[in-house]
Amino acid sequence: MSHNTIPPLSAEAPVVLEMAHVSKSFGAVTALVDVSVKLRKGEVLALVGDNGAGKSTLIKVLSGYHKPDSGEITSKGKSIRFDSPRDARSEGIETVYQDLALIGDLSIYHNMFIGREYHKRMFGMKLLDNQKMRGMAEEYLATLGINIPNVNSTVDRLSGGQRQCVAVARSIYSSPSVLILDEPLAALGVRESAHVLGLVQKLRREREVSIILIVHNYSQIFEVCDRINFLHSGEIVLDVSTSDITEEELTRTVKSGLGRLMRPEELDIPAAVEP
Amino acid sequence: MGIAFKTKTNPVPTFSGTGKRSVGFHTPTTPVDKILTLLSRYREASIALVAILLVIYFQIGSDSQFLTSQFMSVVLRDTGRLGLIAIAEVMLMITGEIDLSVSSVYSFAPYSMVLMANSLGVPLPLAAIISLSMGIAVGILNGVVTVRFRVPSLITTVGTLFLFQGIVVWINDSQPIVAPIQEPFNAIFGQNLFRPSDSLLSWHAVTAFTPFLWTLAAVLIIALVLNRTTFGLHTVATGSNIVGAREIGVRTDRIKIYNFMLAGGLAAFAGIINTVQFSSADPQAGSPFLTLQAIAAAVIGGTSLLGGSGTVIGALIGAFVVATLNNGLVMVGAQATVSDIYLGAAILAAMILNVQVNRLRARRRI
Repeated sequence: MSHNTIPPLSAEAPVVLEMAHVSKSFGAVTALVDVSVKLRKGEVLALVGDNGAGKSTLIKVLSGYHKPDSGEITSKGKSIRFDSPRDARSEGIETVYQDLALIGDLSIYHNMFIGREYHKRMFGMKLLDNQKMRGMAEEYLATLGINIPNVNSTVDRLSGGQRQCVAVARSIYSSPSVLILDEPLAALGVRESAHVLGLVQKLRREREVSIILIVHNYSQIFEVCDRINFLHSGEIVLDVSTSDITEEELTRTVKSGLGRLMRPEELDIPAAVEP
Repeated sequence: MGIAFKTKTNPVPTFSGTGKRSVGFHTPTTPVDKILTLLSRYREASIALVAILLVIYFQIGSDSQFLTSQFMSVVLRDTGRLGLIAIAEVMLMITGEIDLSVSSVYSFAPYSMVLMANSLGVPLPLAAIISLSMGIAVGILNGVVTVRFRVPSLITTVGTLFLFQGIVVWINDSQPIVAPIQEPFNAIFGQNLFRPSDSLLSWHAVTAFTPFLWTLAAVLIIALVLNRTTFGLHTVATGSNIVGAREIGVRTDRIKIYNFMLAGGLAAFAGIINTVQFSSADPQAGSPFLTLQAIAAAVIGGTSLLGGSGTVIGALIGAFVVATLNNGLVMVGAQATVSDIYLGAAILAAMILNVQVNRLRARRRI
């Protein structure tokens, strides 16, 4: 997992997903203001910002859960409108939500395949091919090195870490072109976090999947991300490559609450001096 | 002695040898454990046990009059009627909704059918299909009001309950009308042709049980839909975690509306069977008590009121228990008026048992 093995992002890498001038508000609450985000093929983009800055809303607009009030989303060069997460998934955009979107009363393998179930025809009816889904889920979780006792057990019997692993496995199973991970490490222990970060790093090395990542631990950002977008009160106030900023500067910038980049010469200014 | 017993019944002594319970999945070892495992793993098992005990009790108490073809025909007809509505409630309760308007559809749909047949000369099968569509339309109304206008279904369906019950009572001044008889429609959908002189294997004997057989067919189909189709999977997902289901692309609104439609259709079907059975369309055939009994049947059958889980087979057995209590108590000499007391007590007892078994299950992780 050394940095040396990561090929730099090619300058010609095409933009796979673009959000242009998107705004979104919920009643009187403005969540996103004229937000533009570009994601290139194979890029790993970190989204940082305080709680309530609009990170989750941004992600849910991209995943088709929220419809933007204005602005445009472009996927692989063509303008798209998502009416539901189903549309985004069929466009190759997979999301691991903060709440994981797992169904507690369903088995692990049903959770893995919900929304894209396998069927077989019997008595003229389109029935679920449970056997196939069970087998594939077992095999895939084993390939990822995820330790799940039994794919038949319901998700509500799993630990927080196991659930997170199932959600991540589900999102990468369909080989998406864009993967959105909203705090994928929140419930994970040290070893499991390293495992998921290792997966992200592996995908980054191959430069096939583009990833948007929300993580609160900034050293992890510098470990696996190419670029950082800083969201402050619903606006993108900073768009910077991880090689152009230090972890300390990033920490300071977010902590200051000023919504702008803090450079080393300003570092002695105490944090959070918002007038 | 004790140690020898333990090693014999428990191949992995570490589980119970030290008196500690292992974390994770518990392997049942003692007979009591095994029964508890069975009861909690198959939610239908506990209610089936209750049903069997009730039948034995009434069979003994009535001097073997309970398990006769005549009496079973009565009990199973009630079971059929109640069962159809109970499975409709099960599907809705799985999605986290409820439908209290089914009893009005149960009156409204067959009344329209008979009116169409009598005054417009529509053949009964066609009139039945139109009435069934009306029931489904009431379901669409319930579903759309609940989902799009965000009115809780408890309130939506109380509204439509009064609305359609009001309409059916108003149409003909609350007068029951005699239903026409058109064979083979009537014989297929509930008319009882059985006479004591008929052989038990004759077609006439089958007609004694048609309402139950229709319900049995409906239960088997819906059990298949619930457990083996994408629609069933998404129905469970909708009730278990509606936000998560939406996030993953399940069309939760549509799933709910479809289940309301199913409930309307099943209630109409149950009403038609009831009308055919008595060759009379009574505008007050369905009382809200019927709905409540059906919900009771669903709940004592093992369906959660919280959404996300339920069993239609359990609901059918639940309906059998309710029908058995209703009829059997009279049979063993209790006054008709006291049967609700027993029913109420039985519902409470069944619920307490159900909740306790589930708690046990959660604690032991069986």
